[in-house]
Amino acid sequence: MNSSPARIIELNRRNFGVPAHERLVLANGLTLVMVPRRDVPLVAFQLLIRGGALGDPLGRAGVASLTAGLLDKGAGELDAAAFAESVEGAGGSFVATAAPECLAVSGQFLAADQPRLLALLADAIMQPRFAPSEFTRQQQRQIGHLKALKDSDPSELLPQYGRALLFGSHAYGQPASGSEDSLQAITLKDIVEYHRAHIGADRAVLVVAGDIDGNWLKAAVERHFGGWRRAGLPLPEVEPTVKLRRRRVLLVDAPGAAQSYFWLGATGLDRSYRDRAALDLVNSLFGGRFTSLLNTELRIRSGLSYGAGSGFTRGRAAGEFAIRSFAASQHTVRALDLSLQTLSRLKRAGVTQSMLDSARSYVVGQYPMNLETAADWAAQLAELELYGLDPQYIEGYGSALRNVSVTSARRVIEEAFPVGRQLALVVIGDAARVRKRLGRYGPVQEVALAAGRFTA
Amino acid sequence: MNRPGSPPPLPRRLSAPAAQGPACVPGQAAVRSQVLDNGLKIIVWSDHSIPCVALHNWVRVGSRNEVPGLTGLAHFFEHMMFNGTRRHGAGEFDRLMEAQGGSNNAFTCDDLTVYQDWFPRGALDLVFELEADRIQGLSLAPAMIESERGVVYSERLLRVDDNNQGYLSEQVQAAAFIAHPYRFPTIGRAEDIRAWTARDLRQFYRTYYAPNNQTIVLVGDVSHEEAFALARRHLGRLPRQPDPPAVQVQEPEQFGERRVVVRRPAQMALLQYAYKAPAANDALGPALTLLLTALVDGNASRLHRLLVEQRVVAQDVAADWHQGFDPSLCWFWFTLAEGVDPHAARDIIDAELAAVVASGLTDADLNRARNLNASGFWKQLSTIDGKAHLLGEYEALRGGWRKLFVAPQRHAAVTRADITAAARLLLNSRRRTVGMLLPDHRSSP
Repeated sequence: MNSSPARIIELNRRNFGVPAHERLVLANGLTLVMVPRRDVPLVAFQLLIRGGALGDPLGRAGVASLTAGLLDKGAGELDAAAFAESVEGAGGSFVATAAPECLAVSGQFLAADQPRLLALLADAIMQPRFAPSEFTRQQQRQIGHLKALKDSDPSELLPQYGRALLFGSHAYGQPASGSEDSLQAITLKDIVEYHRAHIGADRAVLVVAGDIDGNWLKAAVERHFGGWRRAGLPLPEVEPTVKLRRRRVLLVDAPGAAQSYFWLGATGLDRSYRDRAALDLVNSLFGGRFTSLLNTELRIRSGLSYGAGSGFTRGRAAGEFAIRSFAASQHTVRALDLSLQTLSRLKRAGVTQSMLDSARSYVVGQYPMNLETAADWAAQLAELELYGLDPQYIEGYGSALRNVSVTSARRVIEEAFPVGRQLALVVIGDAARVRKRLGRYGPVQEVALAAGRFTA
Repeated sequence: MNRPGSPPPLPRRLSAPAAQGPACVPGQAAVRSQVLDNGLKIIVWSDHSIPCVALHNWVRVGSRNEVPGLTGLAHFFEHMMFNGTRRHGAGEFDRLMEAQGGSNNAFTCDDLTVYQDWFPRGALDLVFELEADRIQGLSLAPAMIESERGVVYSERLLRVDDNNQGYLSEQVQAAAFIAHPYRFPTIGRAEDIRAWTARDLRQFYRTYYAPNNQTIVLVGDVSHEEAFALARRHLGRLPRQPDPPAVQVQEPEQFGERRVVVRRPAQMALLQYAYKAPAANDALGPALTLLLTALVDGNASRLHRLLVEQRVVAQDVAADWHQGFDPSLCWFWFTLAEGVDPHAARDIIDAELAAVVASGLTDADLNRARNLNASGFWKQLSTIDGKAHLLGEYEALRGGWRKLFVAPQRHAAVTRADITAAARLLLNSRRRTVGMLLPDHRSSP
């Protein structure tokens, strides 16, 4: 590979260039970012509002999520059916969800429908109706969604169980989705209060990307959102998270399950971690690509599982590092042991120069495909704003990747990857078949999959 | 193509005309195709928006080509295509590709097996070398077969045994056909996964992995000349082979509703409909697609509004027309709200579908379906992978890649009368199979 300086600069620009965009802040604090792009006649938007599930009251996890779900169920002049018809009649999409630290509204419209998009978005955010009948229906639907997942894709809920076990009463331990029980406890009053306290212009960033006319858009955003008030409360603080000192084990009993689906997590890193490039390379090698150490052991060499992987969730405080995989019930212990041994091996042996070189090529080579569309850029630029990062976070990533050495990788492994006792272990499986064999990992707590909570 | 609970396309790993917008799809001038002497077709869409390339290899084989006792073979074979050749040992395919910045996947469905590589343009030569190598020199080593058997078995447990939607779909599919191999689950029956041998795999390889049975699609930062030259160099010498045996089975006409009832541990009951539906290239295709969009896509869709919002009997609704070489199925999946009796839900759904057959869609329904379809189409065209997928699909199933570029006009031309005709043909309860999954509250099955 030719690595002359000129070629490196060119590679940097093509792989890590941020498209031209314009950023401004309205008088009420709303940040607007506009990214013109004309490959297809679409416009994508992403609106992030800081706070998210951090604003959920104690014992009522899911308030932010239910609020998000209700934004388009009637707003301004339109009832729920008319709102849906107005979005979808124009071929648009409109999705609002709550994450642990923000509420996100995203969607895509045909370019010609930008005026409609802005009017609908402004109504949904500023004038949702929160009708009692819609509230009850949405509440039951979100409860039903969790039950349906338990029937047809229980492993999707591993992070909820895992975060609750790992972070306990810390905000990160409360499921942003809510649990069946906590959703049931929520009242319409909670929703109205959440909207007053945690949704406001000073908390928000709006990114619009695609086939746009910047001058028109600026004026239109000012017109629609200029009157948006500030949030009623200050942004909730996030307490620091701590590492476990003794392993915790939770068995989620799914009678009749043929496989055990497991999650091994530990307190990891926050957004400000100084060496993201090294972290990405090491995680790519450990559990972030097909030939990763984990997938090699659990799938390629042993044939135990369809797949195994790992990843970091980094928020304002340290979120979790987690390993996920699954295996037939009778192989549960073998698969868990193999995961733990692979983690120990990483801690002990580190990574070699040739491994790093391969991971670097991989991360660099794949990068442009993660930021290919207007919607990708809308999401990425909004996330940078959310965490107070600037475009250098992307533009400098190429050179940061080049600078990762075996030594800096070693430091990341030491700092970010856990030792055994720091782990929380969740297994969703048939307790009658696996209960006895899990005792070796620590004292086992147990909860039925059908129970309406994510804790024992 | 991949909806919840749908019979797969099975990915190898975890991990759509405009009422507004341009009437014609830009890019046709950037697409060229060439057929090599051995029958291998290459389609190239040169697109320099990012410094990457998507390469798909569409092989015309799937579970449609299987026989009882060896179900799941096409999908298992797809897995083995990553497990070593005479030149590159097991694991080398992925190791070499990732070290040059590439990633890959593959999926198998009833009709087709598709291999996908996504990589920086600098890896072009390597990717062609690896693809050419595995379509002629696969090892099929016994140890790798045994290990991969475990992987696929785990995949089956994930998608079928531990997934109520997947489990019911498999049962419904098996009941919907009495003769055609579309009755086989693409993942394979559990006993068959344990049973196939290296000999079965070799026979399969020889029969279906011929250059004249494959189409390679490239989209991205590559010129036509460069792509064609690489194809000739790496793939031009593969010998043409006899055409694989045609699938001649014809499914006999169905003259009455079939029913399947399953009892499993569950919190919610499930209801599924599988209607007999035409093949992918049927002239009614655009009308059928718009009909399904109007019925189930989005909160304003007819069935969502009725079942989820008004009557509150369902948690979710989804539908998919399985588009294959032969007439197959159009699926509806209903996750019912807790405590709802599937028979009661069925009566409500059937009354609504009868109304659609009797009076068709409203102008608003049709307009919404058109616009949703158009934006879905443009969204797919906004990535190199989406473009490669559409080119491959049109080439394999819908009469050639050029048809992609007139898709908006074809959809715009659909009238309410066309939709009514499609609804009459499709929504005939005599030609459907109904599946119900009823919660079984005993502790174990």
